[in-house]
Amino acid sequence: MLNMIKGETFRIMHKKSMYVYFGSLAAGYFLVAFIRSGGFDEHSIASDAFNFFNFLPALAGGFLFAAIYADDLNAKTLTTLVGFGIGKAKIVLVKLILTAMFGAAAFALAPLLLYAAHAALGWPAAASTMTTVYAVSLKYLLITLGYSTLSGIAVYGLQHPTFAMVLFILLALNVISGLASVLLANLAGADLAHVFTSRMLSGITDRILSGVIGDSQLFLPITEYAAYLTISAAASIAAFERKEMEF
Amino acid sequence: MAKSVMQTHKLSKKYGELLVLDGVSLTLRQGDVYGLVGRNGAGKTTFFKCVMGLARPTAGTIEIGGEKNSLHAARRKIGFMISPSFFPYLNPKENLEYLCRLKGIRTRGEVGRLLDLVGLGSVKKPFKAFSLGMKQRLGLAGALLGSPEIVVLDEPVNGLDPQGIIDMRAIIKNANTQTGTTFIVSSHILSELDLVATQFGFIEQGVLLEEISHADLHENTKETLAVEVNDTQKAQGVLRQIGIECRASGSGRLTLQSHLDRPNEIARSLINSGLELYGLHRQEITLEEYFLRLIGGRNAQHDQR
Repeated sequence: MLNMIKGETFRIMHKKSMYVYFGSLAAGYFLVAFIRSGGFDEHSIASDAFNFFNFLPALAGGFLFAAIYADDLNAKTLTTLVGFGIGKAKIVLVKLILTAMFGAAAFALAPLLLYAAHAALGWPAAASTMTTVYAVSLKYLLITLGYSTLSGIAVYGLQHPTFAMVLFILLALNVISGLASVLLANLAGADLAHVFTSRMLSGITDRILSGVIGDSQLFLPITEYAAYLTISAAASIAAFERKEMEF
Repeated sequence: MAKSVMQTHKLSKKYGELLVLDGVSLTLRQGDVYGLVGRNGAGKTTFFKCVMGLARPTAGTIEIGGEKNSLHAARRKIGFMISPSFFPYLNPKENLEYLCRLKGIRTRGEVGRLLDLVGLGSVKKPFKAFSLGMKQRLGLAGALLGSPEIVVLDEPVNGLDPQGIIDMRAIIKNANTQTGTTFIVSSHILSELDLVATQFGFIEQGVLLEEISHADLHENTKETLAVEVNDTQKAQGVLRQIGIECRASGSGRLTLQSHLDRPNEIARSLINSGLELYGLHRQEITLEEYFLRLIGGRNAQHDQR
């Protein structure tokens, strides 16, 4: 397992487009911050975290999902992994670990980027504000990890890179959860739709965020989140075991 | 006889109702260069996919290095190339470094050695810019990484230019003779496999028709002398008098497997004894003809059923 983590880390770190992509994202944010800097105050960094990090699962997570999961399908290198005698369950677990690793790096750097931009423009954030910014970043890291694992079922069950990518992006942009809520509200009423929404990944991570920056309890939402990951990973393994390798 | 390093027992694979492999029992012995010969769609790639764990057999068993149950670990002894699959944005060195980490290979200089071996030592461009021949070369380097005990190559000469084919052959031969690596190589080009293989398996419609050694195959296809006369019985008698045994091979036709250097004497004896001699010529069935006869026989049996 460690060998695979080393190999995959080496591969992703040698993907030059990753540096170009994330560099462009950072430059884009600096530009937007510079344009808006006339209206900045001490709360701007926190509101930016809430507004911009909302797109990070799609923007940053989308790239990482492509690099970690979809590249294997495009290059048909899943056959290499399986042919080398690496078990399918191990492959699913390593991909989950890699998403957590690279996601943690990206979502740890994003608050620093916000801090650097705001500090450069004359509004350095206080430590307490940065705690909130990091808590928001953590919420979207958990969302990215959850949706990657969920989309992993499509990756291994269908082995179709475009479908897997589209599914991840639709999940990350809350299109699927939004449609499901609207549909449920119309079919079963607003109360049931509310219960459903709070049990979806975005609802669970909202409750984790409240627990981190507020005083609400964390045990239940963390357990629900862990269940999401476990069930999705188990479903991915089952789908992978059933599916013949594509060439 | 060398020990078996890989064996399949009545291996079958069905896709829906289509039987792609039908009870294939194949034995790969240590040090063999096993040529798996079959037409396109005969089941060669499916056989490899089953061996490498990329497709689940419908029936039968696979044994690698004496291991039947824990094949994941056993497969680590195998290097393989089934359509070269590499990351398009990595260059050849990076792609092999990736595989080294994956396989836990820490031998210094292994990547450079293999890239030089396949003629890609100075190539810096990414895999996506490779020609088909270069992809095949990198695929071979990937298969040989870490000096595995067994190397599986599926159609390795596809897309290679003549020099590439010669190089590929030399690499296989060298690895086989110098490090004792066992190869199983598929191709539909029998003449190409004939230059490297020590053992052959002929596969058609998912059935392994025959396993035969290189020597026996050439024994079956060696040169003979064909004699066409009006009376084969009388001709056999005449030839026996000058010390030549031969067999009738059809009406008015005799086949001699020896004394190929005595055509003048044979002709003279037959004519002097009053026989009509219609033809006398050397003949050899090519390996391709042998294969076609083999699959022709199989198809005829299939049609009769």
